[in-house]
Amino acid sequence: MSGLLIALLAVPFGGAVLLWVLPARLADRLAALMGSVVSGFVLVGSAVMWWRFTHQGGPVGATLAAGELPRTLPGKVNAYAETDVSWLSSLDVRFHVGVDAISLPLILLTALLVFLCCAYSLRIIPRAGRTASLVALLLVIETGVIGTFSALDLVLFFVFFEVVLIPMWLVIDVWGDHHDPAGRRLAANRFVLMTVLGSAVMLVGFLLVHHLAGTFDIEALGNDPVLGGHGLPLAAAACIAGGLAVKMPIWPLHIWLPDAHAKAPTVGSVLLAGVLLKLGSYGLIRVLLPVLPEASLTIAPYLAGFSTIAIVAGSLACLAQTDVKRLIAYSSVGHMGFIGLGIATMSPEGLSGAMFGNIAHGVITGLLFFLAGAIKDRHDTSDLRAIGRALYARLPRIAALLTFASLASLGLPGLAGFWGEMLAMLGAYHPHEALPRATFIVMMAVAGAGTVITAAYFLRLVRNLCQGDPAKYPSTTFAVDLSRIELVTWAPLVVLTVLLGLWPALLLDYWTFL
Amino acid sequence: MTITSTDWQASAVPLLLALAAVAVLLVDGARGGTARARHLVAGGTTAAAVVAGLVITAVQRHDLLPAFCKTAVEGPAECSLTVEPLTIGLWAVLLSAGLGVVVLSAHGLLDARIAPAEFHFLLLSALCGATVLAAARDLVTMVIALELVSLPSFAMVALRRDRRGSEAALKAFLVSVLSTAVMLFGVSYLYGVTQSLHLTTVATRIPASGDERRVAYAAGLFVLVGFAFKIAAVPFHAWLPDTYDGAPVEVTAFLAVVSKSAGVAGLVVLLTRGLPGLDLRLVVGLLAAVTMTVGNVAALRQTGAVRLLAWSSIGQVGFLLAPLAADDVRVVVAYLAAYVVVTLGAFGVVALVQRHRPGGLLTDYRGMVRTEPGAGASLVLFLLVLAGLPPGLVGLFTKFAALQSVVDAGLGWLAAAMVVNVVIGLAVYLRWVAELFRLPVDEPFSVDIETPAVAVIGTCAGAAVVLSVLPAALFALV
Repeated sequence: MSGLLIALLAVPFGGAVLLWVLPARLADRLAALMGSVVSGFVLVGSAVMWWRFTHQGGPVGATLAAGELPRTLPGKVNAYAETDVSWLSSLDVRFHVGVDAISLPLILLTALLVFLCCAYSLRIIPRAGRTASLVALLLVIETGVIGTFSALDLVLFFVFFEVVLIPMWLVIDVWGDHHDPAGRRLAANRFVLMTVLGSAVMLVGFLLVHHLAGTFDIEALGNDPVLGGHGLPLAAAACIAGGLAVKMPIWPLHIWLPDAHAKAPTVGSVLLAGVLLKLGSYGLIRVLLPVLPEASLTIAPYLAGFSTIAIVAGSLACLAQTDVKRLIAYSSVGHMGFIGLGIATMSPEGLSGAMFGNIAHGVITGLLFFLAGAIKDRHDTSDLRAIGRALYARLPRIAALLTFASLASLGLPGLAGFWGEMLAMLGAYHPHEALPRATFIVMMAVAGAGTVITAAYFLRLVRNLCQGDPAKYPSTTFAVDLSRIELVTWAPLVVLTVLLGLWPALLLDYWTFL
Repeated sequence: MTITSTDWQASAVPLLLALAAVAVLLVDGARGGTARARHLVAGGTTAAAVVAGLVITAVQRHDLLPAFCKTAVEGPAECSLTVEPLTIGLWAVLLSAGLGVVVLSAHGLLDARIAPAEFHFLLLSALCGATVLAAARDLVTMVIALELVSLPSFAMVALRRDRRGSEAALKAFLVSVLSTAVMLFGVSYLYGVTQSLHLTTVATRIPASGDERRVAYAAGLFVLVGFAFKIAAVPFHAWLPDTYDGAPVEVTAFLAVVSKSAGVAGLVVLLTRGLPGLDLRLVVGLLAAVTMTVGNVAALRQTGAVRLLAWSSIGQVGFLLAPLAADDVRVVVAYLAAYVVVTLGAFGVVALVQRHRPGGLLTDYRGMVRTEPGAGASLVLFLLVLAGLPPGLVGLFTKFAALQSVVDAGLGWLAAAMVVNVVIGLAVYLRWVAELFRLPVDEPFSVDIETPAVAVIGTCAGAAVVLSVLPAALFALV
């Protein structure tokens, strides 16, 4: 029983309930402040948990002090701060939560991004108003995401996975792009319906696992996995991978993503890209690989293939975008493709790369969506042609940050985006010995070409938006360059981008796989 | 037929309801009193009888009480009524549903054109039939009990005595007569093949092969079709939307929770106690898949609240039939219980809104989460339970359990149909939920909600929340 982890789950939810119970007017005024305090608590709490986990006395700290960590099977749970109580015994469902080196960094990322979104809402809220409900929904999303990252029971994982959906649907539908009510409703519906289809398919996979192994417990399944690469285990793996691929998303299941990201309000886009997509990749690492190791080997080449297509297709789509938010959304498809490729190699390098890519993508794309939102708010449009060029002259600080984030995102060495993609490609060079190496090397080459296209579209973005003749695009007098709240909320992301780029061992040391 | 042994305790609940029905009519015959007082007396008597029935059910929950039995030539004794865990679970659901309808029809809520005593008499008669149906273990008792549920239902639909109600009642009546005829046809053939009307004996005497088995199979299909009309499984559903739409909302709630649960109860008893040897799983599974798909797809296009609930209730019946195709009675009853709780609550809100806005369109609910937070948030919860998504965890768990029994039974195609229908169903309910959250509102819906309506909506919402946190209680019903 760990009180801290339970508190991390309960506190944001309690905060949301409190915001809904308070009278609307009072709640609207207090919402952002309360949200910041609550999510700040969660951030501090998860940081404390990470510190306890990694330092002397924690399960990892002691081993690490003595030398390297032992290598473990990929994704296998080595739970810390566990709580395990029976919930629905007749269906074999338990409330089993716990964290380890794989989930804790993602929990930290979630806590950080939600905190920044709440802090951002102190000053900047979408035109629809109703701040209390918006912040409350963000907090419910936080509970759902942290719950998914800490669930050690398949059904509990599924439940938390679904908790996120309705709040995010509302965030897009109510607070989305105010120019296009029909479009944002369509985007929200497509997001929620496709994700539910994916999660229902994933649930069928979980039920097949239960049918084969007789338990939903991820820890028990990790110790005693479902073996066999054909028949029912393969069907289970295909269902789970297919369902999670919608969330991640992997081409061609990504069609919900561009609209959802483009129509969502800034905080919605940040959480969608920064956190929600990771539920998919985390699920692949946590559930698919350790529970169905042999069936995973069977489907890994296909997963890798679709991921590689995603890298190229996402990047090519970016070249054709005229909307800055859609462009960043499509870039997520490409980046999640690298993560999928890393997972599919099933090698230590590839998995470390995928997990590092998860964190890096969350930080960098979070920053990119904050910036895109800032540009959109200032010009009341996110259309590149309407915004015009020469942002260096008109909004020098924001333009500089956009260039910085673009460089980080295209994988410039020294910034966070580099390590994930490099390791994923290294993993494709040395895939798991049971996988066809030649195929993976071809995919590595294609992915390499994808990085070039990524560089091309980000540089094109910088060129089309930031550079240009200031005389032709006069600065709008009312537009403020970087405001104080923007500086405060974006600074942590900038710092993390540099820190993770220069010192990747900060995370990589804890991921040691066979 | 000589009855050799009976346990009168087994018939305590139906008997109590029947006596209460007569009492309601008798008391109303007395003169004097205001309309309000007469309504209170009728409603109070009904509620007291139903609560007493629930208490008896709770007391009997561990018992095995066979009634109207005779010793068979071979095999176990043949009984016409049996109280066993399955009966108890179904009774709990049926009586709770009945109690909800009684409170929904309190004075001031029930349509003023409806005579309260007649309404409550019919309601009690139907409940009596429903409880007998859940306990019935022979074919004739089942048919009679089913008629006892159906006949009062048509009368209730027509109680407002206007054109729409009469038309709706006539439609339901014709379909029901047809379904009874079809069912009796099947029953007669089953009797011809097995020489018995008792389910236990029918179950043992169904031949394993040959022509007689084919006849028995066809007869089983006819009986199944009879029940399919009753629960409005596709393609026997055409009467339902018009009837739901034409009836007063309280009566629609009755049809959706009591009448439908009674049909499901009869079907469960028939398939698990009488015809397990026929292996109708494939047929039931097909019926489930078609029913949920047609119901949900048609619901997608509805603009009226009651019609949407009507079509989506067809979709829900599909999900109810799915675990039945996998022989998982526990899940059927759990699903039914969750469905009853939230459907009652949803009809409570619909009745509330329609009293003030008779149009009954989905757009009437616009912005209700803000202007009527209690009723609005409750309705959102009910709809999400029906959709099976958090925060409606109880709906999620019952759908999960249904899917689990189907997957464990190896019915992959049915599981696929369920997965697709979860998505379509969600699309149906989200349209309504979106209206509830939408702003700005020109004419916000804001009224003083009557106490009984608050009680029903609040109780249902509370039950949905409690069952979401502790779903185990639901699966302990049977």
